[in-house]
Order: sequence, then structure tokens, then C-alpha cells
Amino acid sequence: MSVIKTFEGREGHISQKTGYDPVSLSCSNESLAGAVSQRACVYSGARVVLNPLTDALHLVHGPIGCASYTWDIRGSSSSGPDLYKNSFSTDMSELDVVYGGEKKLARAIRDLAERFHPPAIFVYSTCIVGIIGDDLKAVCRSATAELGLPVIPVRSEGFRGNKNEGYKAACNALFELVGTKEHRPASPYAINLLGEYNVAGDLWAIKPLFEEMGIEVVATFTGDGRVAEIQRSHTARLNLVQCSGSMTYLAKKMEERYGIPYQHISFFGLGDLASALRCAARFFADESMLAKAEEIIERETAQVMPKIVYYRSRVQGKKAAIYMGGAAKAVSLVRAFEELGMEVVIIGTQTGDRDDYRKISCMVRDGTVIVDDANPLELRELLAVQKADLLVAGVKERFFAYKLGIAFCDFNHDRTTSFEGYDGLVNFAQELDASLNSPVWRLPLRRSSPIVGSQGSEIEKTIEKAAEGGVQAGV
Amino acid sequence: MSESYSTINPCNMCMPMGSVLAFRGVEGCMPLFHGSQGCATYMRLYLAHHFREPVDIASSALSEKGTVYGGSANLKMGLKNLIIGYSPKAIGVATTCLAETIGDDIVQIINEFRAEEKSNIPIIPVSTPSYSASHEEGYARALQALVQSLARRTEPGGRINLIIGSFVSPADVRYLKNMIIDWGFADGFILFPDISETLDAPREENPPRITEGGTTLEDMVDTANSRCTLTIGGRFQSSSAGGFLEREFRVPQTALPLPIGLKDTDLFVSMLEEQTGIALPERYEAQRGRLLDTLADVHKYLAGVRVAVYGDSDIVLGLTRFLCEAGAIPAVVATGLRSTRFEAEIRAASEDALILLGADFSQIHDKIRNARIDLMLGTSNGRQISKKEGIPLVRVGLPNHDRVGATRQLLVGYEGATRLADAITNALLDENNL
Repeated sequence: MSVIKTFEGREGHISQKTGYDPVSLSCSNESLAGAVSQRACVYSGARVVLNPLTDALHLVHGPIGCASYTWDIRGSSSSGPDLYKNSFSTDMSELDVVYGGEKKLARAIRDLAERFHPPAIFVYSTCIVGIIGDDLKAVCRSATAELGLPVIPVRSEGFRGNKNEGYKAACNALFELVGTKEHRPASPYAINLLGEYNVAGDLWAIKPLFEEMGIEVVATFTGDGRVAEIQRSHTARLNLVQCSGSMTYLAKKMEERYGIPYQHISFFGLGDLASALRCAARFFADESMLAKAEEIIERETAQVMPKIVYYRSRVQGKKAAIYMGGAAKAVSLVRAFEELGMEVVIIGTQTGDRDDYRKISCMVRDGTVIVDDANPLELRELLAVQKADLLVAGVKERFFAYKLGIAFCDFNHDRTTSFEGYDGLVNFAQELDASLNSPVWRLPLRRSSPIVGSQGSEIEKTIEKAAEGGVQAGV
Repeated sequence: MSESYSTINPCNMCMPMGSVLAFRGVEGCMPLFHGSQGCATYMRLYLAHHFREPVDIASSALSEKGTVYGGSANLKMGLKNLIIGYSPKAIGVATTCLAETIGDDIVQIINEFRAEEKSNIPIIPVSTPSYSASHEEGYARALQALVQSLARRTEPGGRINLIIGSFVSPADVRYLKNMIIDWGFADGFILFPDISETLDAPREENPPRITEGGTTLEDMVDTANSRCTLTIGGRFQSSSAGGFLEREFRVPQTALPLPIGLKDTDLFVSMLEEQTGIALPERYEAQRGRLLDTLADVHKYLAGVRVAVYGDSDIVLGLTRFLCEAGAIPAVVATGLRSTRFEAEIRAASEDALILLGADFSQIHDKIRNARIDLMLGTSNGRQISKKEGIPLVRVGLPNHDRVGATRQLLVGYEGATRLADAITNALLDENNL
């Protein structure tokens, strides 16, 4: 039996875990028309992965909207260049659609290269480019030859699938850069971090930990990234992949071509963070590095523990709902909620696959609802049925949570507080406490009125009661 | 200036965005984009950020298959599910660049849907390809599509249509509504689109799936029977709901600027007095007096202050005229729209203003850098320039993504101008550490 009533064709995307059997969920298919999916498009997926490359020029070949809605809306921070905070567009008009936009694109690339001297240009294709058939590849190839800098086409026509396709398109674009610059890492222990987007400066809490262990981070894909770092990332010996949905594809390609193995890790939550550090140390099979990792874990954990204990006392026992873009973050959140003594009652993602949901269903408790590609109507129902106290999701979900009187934590790319690393978990716990225990949820939704009550006026009630013979009027 | 082959940091959005703001002003009306899923999601995100409200927009979620073989099945499925899920009273279907480029005939598809599903829910089609015009025209087109689809001539009703011809805040619409109520002719007007509640909903138990409020369908139908139309704003767009009502149903239209600042509000008020024969209520006269008093209080702070104004065309025009009234200098005036009429009206207000048409923020930045600007007045999209140049920014219009209160920001009427004068002056005082 399904947990809630929903659209025909959506039933299989919602399931409740019962017993030990892993939940099998319909997933990885097209969103249902009219259901108001929370998913975005291929372009969106490609843009979020590539955009944190701070010194690259991101040019959208398409009508203006695609560039307008993606201009500086993400919280990925830079320690230097800020070219990525601009949104460049060929602003295609009706004439471009009719006669083709290749010439305009070629001139735009040339103009922008001269004006901004970027180390690389990414050219995103959008829906109509896919329809009118502009040859992005050819334009980019000749621009690369003419300008002497990588001009890379990103095959991100919006309709070609969901965000996952966009991640792939971005990975393919990045892969064109990998291995195009020579580098000799200073440390024999060199790694890349994949699927780390430096949202709210997350990376800056993580990188020093690796450096303390004697590890050199050659490149971060793509948080606070530089084109040159990506170009020499083939010199690393290990890829640590955090956001698996967006970057496993690239990790596999790098393993194939450059023989760099990869491991899935997460920098969120005490347990996952410790595992990540140990994972790197074990890979290099260096005893002193392993000891250093343990020292860091012990020291940092001790440092934040009092605060964690405090916030845990404030939030434990509360019920959390998770709705994320990708599965990796959702999985990491389940563990973090465990560390904070909270129960996960709903867990969903926009783009999880069969394996993701199997993994999730093995982690969560009996009674937890797992949902794929949810929409606002389903989420509303589920939050009520599962009696969630808090929703962790992105901006689109924030305001309906508030309307329902449910606490909220933004764990998307728009957040402005760092949640990774040791202090990150404290920040996260603090935010949960701030929202869950806010007095605003306890304010009366209805004013108590001397003349108008919620079930009619006091006078009416008295009369009613009197009529029933229960109470004397006036008492 | 040489021809530009690219836009850097747009001062425009695309047409479908504008249609949402129009459709959400009609009671129980849900917007649906015929296009790829991403358009709906991106614009929901953008609008949720601004209004701090949930904004649901459905999509026909066109995929590769729909793109190759036509999107009819997707659009019909989308309409069907939207009706099942939300029980809307009406649906506004806006096209996107994708739907337009593959050549889907949405009117035809909608007619087929009506016949197949035996559905009598009003479905309003509007052609809003993202590659032409901008969100401002998208808004105007959707308004026109609404009356085109819904307005029906029956018996002369004698009411006045008050059309909000360009996008303003829910607070602005609320103010105008209250003004009409206070004036005593609440029943004599059809105001649309009414986003005062739909995009600024109170918290309540069991919130409805579609936020309450908006112009009723009955009123939309009745716009054809009104004795006249007053349209505020939207004068630089080619589509016009008021124009359509005039052509089709002989409802004469008067097109006014947005009532921003003293004189444009006076103009609006006079027009209402002329049409109703009732004098402005005393409390609004008092508001007017307070605006004059405020302008006297702040005139020295604002004297000669050089302001860069940018954003949607009608709001920018209103702000420019208001700055002149207050003694400030609209030194740079920019909009994403290309309109010679807009240019002429700005020029009429200020001889020296540096006017940018079809502007992007890179051009705006260049001008601001060289124009000794003291204050920026416009959307939150100016925040990078404001930070880089150390110029205070007073946020007005859509988007306002980084400060709260966009839904409650009052710009129109005497009170709106008073608040704006306060906000501008305080920003300058803050800047000067006073």
C-alpha cells in the first residue's frame, strides 16, 4: 500500500521501509509532466558543476533567461579570481534562431577572450541550440586554435535528460582539460578532491586537514578551482569523490586513462570526516600519516564535542526529513542526524539511482519513507504523515516548510554557512537548533479572542452548553 | 558603441518569467510552462528567493522524445496532472523557446485536450518564446492573453478596470486596493492582476495548495463590460490587455505611468477622481501632505546626490521622475529594454541623464564607474557593483534576492514615495557615518 495518495505513475517512486528488505524504488526516469518536479535541467546540472571554477569564463549560448537565472546564485566561494561570478550569454534572438547563432557565438568568444583573458572558456549549449543545430564543437575547435586557449563545448541542451546528464556533460568538459599541463607534486602523497564545491567556504575547513597529514591537494573539482589545477590533476595518485552523483563519472574516466583510483568519501559529519581522513592515509599505507590522521581526528573531535553535546541535547529526538538533489549528501545527512540523536523519517532525492536507494534503504530505520523525484504536493503530505519537525533541502522547499510550520535547514548550494569539517557540523547543529527551537513556531496561529473563538464565540459556546443542559448560563 | 555579441550579467529575464507574475494574479490560476523541466524549476527558484514564498509552476517536462515528435502528449499529460493535483480554477500555459522552436501549436493542443478530457477549466495560452523581448513583455502578453481568453461581452457593467500593467510588489497592489476601498468604490472596480495575497500569503493552518486571493474569474470575464480601463505602467510593451479591451469591446483605455512619486500619483488620483466623481479621501490627502513634509525634511540630504537607477522600464521611469522631484540627480538611468519612447520620457525628466537601453550590468558598471555615483537604486542584481565601487544600494524591484521584505516593499502612492525618500536618505546617512 502506498504511503500517500499521489499522481498516477508516481506511486512506485514513494515507498516505506518495513522490515529488513531493501526498498525497491522506481527512479532514473523522466519527470512526470504537470507534477511540479523539483528537478532542473541538463544545463543546470552542467552549470552547477563547472561554475565554481573561479577563473574560467562561463558563456551560455542561448536566450537570455538561462544566463539570468544562473548568475551568481550559488554560494561557492573563491579565494581569488571572481570571473565565475559573471554570467555571459550570447543572448540569442529570433534572428539567431532562424539563421543560426554560430557566427554570433564565434564573435562573442573572441570578444570575451580579448576582454577578460580567461585561461579557459566553457560554452554551454541550451535547448534551442540543440534544436537549430548550431555546431558548437566546430565553433569551439576553431576558437581554440585561433585564441590559443581551451574553448570547451558543454553539451547541456536542457531537454536531453535531467541534471545527471548535465553532470556528465560537465565531466566530459572537465576531462578535456585534465592532463593538459605538466606538474610534479611536491608531496609524494598527492590527491584530488572531486565533488567538493566550496559552498560557503567548506573546502577551507577540509584542505588544511589533508595538508597537516602531509597530503598535497592538486586540484579540487571544482570548488575554489582554477583551470590550471584541473589541467594538472592527472598527477595526483588518488581521487576522493564526495558528491558521487556528479563526479563518479569523471573519476572513472580518470581511472581509465590515468590509472588514478578513486574512493567515495564525505566531509560532513564526525564519522564520515574521520573515515575520509583515514581512507586517504590507508591508501598511501603510511604509518606516520595514519597516526597523524588519528591525532587530528582525536584533537578536532575533542575540540568540538562539548558544542556537539550541547546542541544534541537541544535537538535529539526530533524528526528530520531530507530532500536533496543527489544521494551522496542525503546518505551523509542520515549519519549526521544519528550523531545528533535525531531520527530520519523521510529521505528523498531528485536524481538518485537504484543503487543509491538500495544503500539508503539499508541505512534508515523501519518506517522511514524513501521518495524519488518528489514534488511539493507529495512532500507536503509526507511531512504531515511522517510528523517531521524539520526539513533539510534547498530554497524551493524552504518556504513551503515554513508555511507548514516546519523547521528548515538549507543544505544546498545557496547556503551561506559552512557545514563541512569539524566546525561545520557545529554550524549545522546550531542551525538545526535555531530553527527547531525557535519561538516563532510556538506563537499562536490563531489569536484567542474574547468574542470570536476557534469554535464560535464564547457566548455561542455558553449558549450551546446551556442548551445541552450541561452548564448553567453565566457560569 | 560597437555592436555587442554577448551580454554580461543580464538586466533582463525571459518572457515566461513575466507570465507567471501575471497568471498568479488571477484566482486559482496555475502557470504551466510548455518546455523543458528546467525552465519551471529555475524560475520557481528565482521567484521563491525574491518573494520568500513557495511558487509552484508546472511543466510539460519536454524530453528528447517530445522534442523530436512534438510535445502534444507531454502538454496534455501536464494539464491533466495539474488539474488532478491542484484543482486549479484556471491554467495559464506559457510557451518557452523550446516549444516555440519545435513549432508546437499550443492552441490546437489545448483544444484537443478540452475535447478529449471534456474539461471546461479555462486554459489560457500565451506565446512567450524566451528568445524574443523580455520578462516585461511576457507579463504584458500574459495579461493580454488573460482578457483575450476570458473577457466576454454580456451586459454593460459600469465598472472601471484597473490594470496593473507592469510588475509591482504585492504591497503596492494591496495599497491600491485599500485606496479604492477607502475611497468607497470597492464594488466599482476590477483590479487585475491581483498578487497582493497570492504572492504574499499569511501563515495559517492547512494552507491551500494554491494560495488564496487574486482577481476572480468572474471579474476577468466582466472586464469586457466595464465602462473604462485605467492601466498603470506597461506603456513600453507592445502587448496590452487594456488595448485589447478597447479594440475588441470598445472599453476606452487611459494608460498612465506607475504612480511613483508625487506628480505621477497626483495624475493617477486625478484620473480616479475624474472617473468616479468622488474626491480623494482625506487620509490620502494627509499622506500627500506627509510626503511633501518628508521631502522638505530630506531635501538637503538629497540635493545634488547622483543616483544610478536601473531595472524594469516603468519602475525606472517612476524612480527617475521621483528623484528629480526630490532634488537628486538621476545620473545613470538603465533598463534592459530597448525603447525609444522610454528614452524620450527619461530625457524629458532629465536632460543630463546618461541613458542606457538594452543594458547589461557590465555596461551599467562601466557608466557607474565614471559618473561619480553616490547611490544605486534598483534590483539586488546591482550588489556586485555596489560592493566593488563602495556605493550604497537601495533595493527596489525584482529581484531582491539578498534582503528580506520584497513582498512588503511599497513603492507606489504617496506613502510609497515617502518610504522611498526615507530609505534613500538613510542609506546616504549610513554611508556618511552620520
